[in-house]
Amino acid sequence: MIRSVYILGQEGDVLYSKEYAKSESKASLVEFLVNLVQFLKSMDLEGKTEFMNVSISRIFFAQRELFTFVFIADKADDAVQIEDKMTQLVETFMKDFANLATAKQPLDGFDSKVDEIAVTMVKVAILGFAGVGKTTTLHLLRGETLPLVHDPTIGVSIKRLPEEVQNANIVLWDLAGQSRFSILWAKMIANAQVVVIVTDSTLENVLRSKKLVTLVKDEVPEAKVIGIANKQDLPTALTPERVGQILSIPTYELVAIDISYRDRLIQIIRKSILEGKAEIKAA
Amino acid sequence: MPEAAFIVQLDDFQGFIVKKRHPSSLALTETMLNLVFFEHQQGEEEAIRDSDIEGMRIASFAMEVFPGWTVCFVLNEDDVLEEISEELTGMGRFMLELMNADPESLEIEEILAKKSSMPAVDDEQKAAAIFMTPSSALLLERLHTEGVESTAKLSMWLKNQIQSENVDLLEAITPLMDSGLVTVEIIGKLETAFLMKDVFPHRAPPVKSFKATSVAHPNLMPRYEEYLKSFFSPDPPTRGYNPTLPVTDPNSPILEDREKIARILSNSIYYAVLDCLRNGPLRLGQIASQISFPDGVVQGALWAMEAERIVANFEEEGVWALITNPKMEIFMPEFILPIIASKLEEKKVGSDTARRYLELLVQTWSE
Repeated sequence: MIRSVYILGQEGDVLYSKEYAKSESKASLVEFLVNLVQFLKSMDLEGKTEFMNVSISRIFFAQRELFTFVFIADKADDAVQIEDKMTQLVETFMKDFANLATAKQPLDGFDSKVDEIAVTMVKVAILGFAGVGKTTTLHLLRGETLPLVHDPTIGVSIKRLPEEVQNANIVLWDLAGQSRFSILWAKMIANAQVVVIVTDSTLENVLRSKKLVTLVKDEVPEAKVIGIANKQDLPTALTPERVGQILSIPTYELVAIDISYRDRLIQIIRKSILEGKAEIKAA
Repeated sequence: MPEAAFIVQLDDFQGFIVKKRHPSSLALTETMLNLVFFEHQQGEEEAIRDSDIEGMRIASFAMEVFPGWTVCFVLNEDDVLEEISEELTGMGRFMLELMNADPESLEIEEILAKKSSMPAVDDEQKAAAIFMTPSSALLLERLHTEGVESTAKLSMWLKNQIQSENVDLLEAITPLMDSGLVTVEIIGKLETAFLMKDVFPHRAPPVKSFKATSVAHPNLMPRYEEYLKSFFSPDPPTRGYNPTLPVTDPNSPILEDREKIARILSNSIYYAVLDCLRNGPLRLGQIASQISFPDGVVQGALWAMEAERIVANFEEEGVWALITNPKMEIFMPEFILPIIASKLEEKKVGSDTARRYLELLVQTWSE
């Protein structure tokens, strides 16, 4: 995935930057990029995109006129795909924003263009204790028939949402809820943009789930966290409002075995992704 | 020995990705990958783990420096893990290092056939890790003057030095403990850190390589001698390399050089290449065949070390030679004994702490 995007001017000044996920420390990266710009002055890339491996990252760079364009991606990424995205970025920038950048004007509207090009995946982690209906929620989101037999998840089950949301592929990480797998939770929610904490709406489970909210806030503070008050069809269910009060996160009602909740749930996730983006921008 | 293996990475977005597998027909399920990964989260990371999953016996290996990556060997019925675990560990290390350096060149079949292996990180590399973490190097300096100190006081001191509350003492002290330089024990009610060993990072003249050159490549000697002279004892007024000069300036070139040395030594591939050259000059192909890494990877390591004035290329002969030998020399911190005596006299440490310190030093340094 593309972890961050940088556009630098002739003197190595950062004209635009955006981080989608953690990579190298930003300060040392910028210093490296400034040196890269200086180095590229003596080179002619002939309009091509080149890359180099640095630690676990692969740094793709291209030059047009006075500008240097950089993607920080992973070594595992498909180089051809990233090069295509670089071409799109360069063309978009040169066509509509190069003059603004030269005049040191704000690049209004460029951010969303970068999102369209660079955002490829949004990770939504589904977390909760065993038997609360996480996998059923996953099936509901994917519009799949529910299995008749409960088959506990081992580790993590990763599936895509069939629909795209805001030009992003939504990857759903359904984490095993059994306590023996709890050692995996912190690692598995890394880089999640949205974490959905599923409860079965019983008082006992909701109180236990407070620990999950703390874990998520510690491990992925930038993620948007929402609660799901599942099994609302059962007589022992607390109301979503009460569950939300206990967990201190926005919480929504659900009956995961009822297909009519699907669209509503997708809307909630869509809203969370957008709110998450807006919060990052505001920060 | 196993004839099938695969390398899997846990990507934060896409989940488990099988990066390489041999044979290509090897069928793997998400459950298998999950269980293998889970095994490695339960304890010490750099170890072989044995799992029986869906009728397959899998020995898996992971390293802390490559989080999310696992090498898995599919064991045959007659494989006894205890007998081959060392070999598998070496091959696992080799595959992960190569996967990081040059994934395209990694061929599992070839590695299994040749049993290409990489040794564990040695003491020199562990010591080098101290200088890769600035707060660890700072702690070491503090222990040079204190010898023994409670971890609570060290933590406060470090926070004060770094001017930040977000200092993790454990992170800073771990490289010192891993390398055996520092031992932490509870004395009374206090968690106490003891300096057991000290380290002197420097570039030594490559004596062994120089002597070997005089026998194997006498034609190189005049130029080789010139390289060494220009670095260690150039004609005045230029000063040669002297790492023993006392430094107080954190921007001192000697301190900067210490970090360069540490960076080279802590890179396992650079270190393997360097270690080959300590015995004498070699051609690129000879190094590559000794350490089983592809020519391109070895070439990259040589260029990186050439830029740091560690190796030189004798182009006409097609030979690479060591011109400075980066070392982490570990020695007993005798200078600490009078400090402890005076701290005891001034009642800055208790007699039980001082006695325990001496016991630990005797244990560490007695033959």
